[in-house]
Amino acid sequence: MSPDRDASVRDGNPREEGPLAERPRPRADCTVDGENRLTIRLTAPATPTAQAPASRPQLLLRLRPPKGQPEQVRRVFDLEPAPGQDRWQATIEPSPAFTEGRWDAYVLPAPGEPRRRLLPGVRDLRALVTGRAPDRTSSPLAVRIPYATLDGYFAVRAWLRPRHAEADRIHVADGAMTVRGRLFGAELDTGAAALLRRRGTGGTVREVELTARGDHVFSFTAGYRDLLSTPGAGPGVWDVFVRPSADAPRIRLARLLDDLADRKKVFVYPATALDGLNVRPYYTVDNDLSVEITAA
Amino acid sequence: MNNVVCTCMKISLLIHNAYGIGGTITTTYNLAGALAERHEVEIVSVLRHRESPALTPDPRIRLRPLVDLRQEKEHPLHLRPAKVFPLYEYRHGQYSELTDQRIGEFLAATDADVVVGTRPGLNVHIALQAPARTVRVGQEHLTLDNHPPRLRRVLRRVYPRLDALTTVTHADAAAYRRKMRLPGVRVEALPNSVPDPSLPPSDGTAPVVVAAGRLVPVKRYDLLIEAFAAVVAERPDWQLRVYGKGEEHDRLRRLIEELGLYDNVFLMGAATPMEAEWAKGSIAAATSNFEPFGMTIVEAMRSGLPVVSTDCPHGPAEIIEDGADGRLVPVGDREALSAALLDLVRDDETRRRMGRTALKNSARYAPGPVVAQAEELFGALASAKAAGRPAAARTTGIDRALVTGGYAARDAAYSAASTILKTVRKARR
Repeated sequence: MSPDRDASVRDGNPREEGPLAERPRPRADCTVDGENRLTIRLTAPATPTAQAPASRPQLLLRLRPPKGQPEQVRRVFDLEPAPGQDRWQATIEPSPAFTEGRWDAYVLPAPGEPRRRLLPGVRDLRALVTGRAPDRTSSPLAVRIPYATLDGYFAVRAWLRPRHAEADRIHVADGAMTVRGRLFGAELDTGAAALLRRRGTGGTVREVELTARGDHVFSFTAGYRDLLSTPGAGPGVWDVFVRPSADAPRIRLARLLDDLADRKKVFVYPATALDGLNVRPYYTVDNDLSVEITAA
Repeated sequence: MNNVVCTCMKISLLIHNAYGIGGTITTTYNLAGALAERHEVEIVSVLRHRESPALTPDPRIRLRPLVDLRQEKEHPLHLRPAKVFPLYEYRHGQYSELTDQRIGEFLAATDADVVVGTRPGLNVHIALQAPARTVRVGQEHLTLDNHPPRLRRVLRRVYPRLDALTTVTHADAAAYRRKMRLPGVRVEALPNSVPDPSLPPSDGTAPVVVAAGRLVPVKRYDLLIEAFAAVVAERPDWQLRVYGKGEEHDRLRRLIEELGLYDNVFLMGAATPMEAEWAKGSIAAATSNFEPFGMTIVEAMRSGLPVVSTDCPHGPAEIIEDGADGRLVPVGDREALSAALLDLVRDDETRRRMGRTALKNSARYAPGPVVAQAEELFGALASAKAAGRPAAARTTGIDRALVTGGYAARDAAYSAASTILKTVRKARR
């Protein structure tokens, strides 16, 4: 068994590789506890280990700016040495709250050294799973969910809403969706309603009757035919709001109170075929609730 | 750590593709990483399709690819079908004359004390081509009963040339002993290991059932979703999270819609590592029709979850102690699955107690005990080989003669290979 070989095959013979000693990148493990404290633990090799607090590495979180715009909002946290080699940690208290958006995470190894972006490690978010009910009087509502970005880095998503309408179950049947939810930072009163606003300039608003159970819990049923019968309406998107009382400003309906930073592809609701169109409630990339109408 | 020179072995693990994701890759990395504490370990990857492995191996492991598909996909030899790698092996289509040649060259030149194959086709290469002085170990991560008959025929002729064959369950080891003549070959169950979790175990309070695996028909997630409808009917606060991706995704999505479970059953996508996701649940579910081992069952138990599983061949029944740290239900039995899930959903105290027992019982799958077993096996085989003794413990005189044949020179190995190939070609006609 000595098959013919040509030179190119020989050149293509197994290339010896040394141990995988590529310079390790810093990695972030994290835990959110029952009090909504976020502890970030870094494994940051090649970081100076000086004991003097002034020369310790720091954790940098920066609010991701819109494309093409400069970075403006940064938060820096001192890192404390943690048990184990190259281990550091910082605990971030619930307040002051983070501005709404996506926060990218870096380690600042030492003064004058370039920051290094963090890879995602193990995120212990079990305290968030069951949809904790924050104090209703606390305003604004602040939510932070650590996650891994699509391109594979550690980041934190934050929502900060002075008043919030939290969507719960959504039932789709008979050409309508029935939504249950809870209000935070506002109370239901006379004139409360659900509003669906067609996205785009001068968007039409449809008002839907809302049933209150106490001051905060509500439900409403929005018929799709009502959206389709709007003059000029066809394929498009309707954003869903709650107006707590007759003169109160509307509050965006969203689902923020669990461990999912990106809900869109996980919470998927059935489409209903009506008049040659498909109507479907869905969560946007920001976890807000909208209704999408598409050509069937 | 190589302080005791005499016990340090050079160990090579031969794997299909170390750059991807999968149970065999994970367990091979786990084993290799732990062996690297005291031994010189390399992973030889027949194929390579990307720069870095998807999973990060221990830095002490040397990783060596044989065929780099990024440059060699169109290599003339790679376009011709493999002859040594058996035709009826599941992955024959990905092998070629080029892989035959590179694997053959690797084995001819190796100075390893122990060479370990990780799938049937690679075990065949090792049985036929590894030097006589090298300990030849074949690992089976699938099961004998599930191999196509024509593959079994090849293995029956070639596996006697191995020093040891390891299966992932005792049931599969028993099948090899019963159905194949493997005189002088040590057949032993060596389970997959799961690393020690870095997080505290689940406290068993969250109303969440977790399942994880590729979304493929054999995993029967359709059955799980149907069974979960009964749980939701009684306890609408409970949810089922299914982690993984695969060809069944859209069909399962439609099933969830048809059953109106879209606020209770979630297709979560892939999550690596799964550890933090297990810890969010308080029950795990495994509903396969066939599970050679069941890595996710062990992972869930190591995170403190009781597991409700089908009693399919062969893994679950060897991992789960029915009624103590989980439940076993008949394969494909939706009602039994619903009932077992509901028993644990309804009874908080039983659920938590079984979770604590699962945590304790699954410690036997920690890398420590599993690697100690592998180390002992490889060490015993190496000293037997050095002393010219056969590998299997009890060997009769007749067996010994056959075993001696098993250590034959490479030329003989090649002729054996061609005999097998003739058999295979005949079978093809």
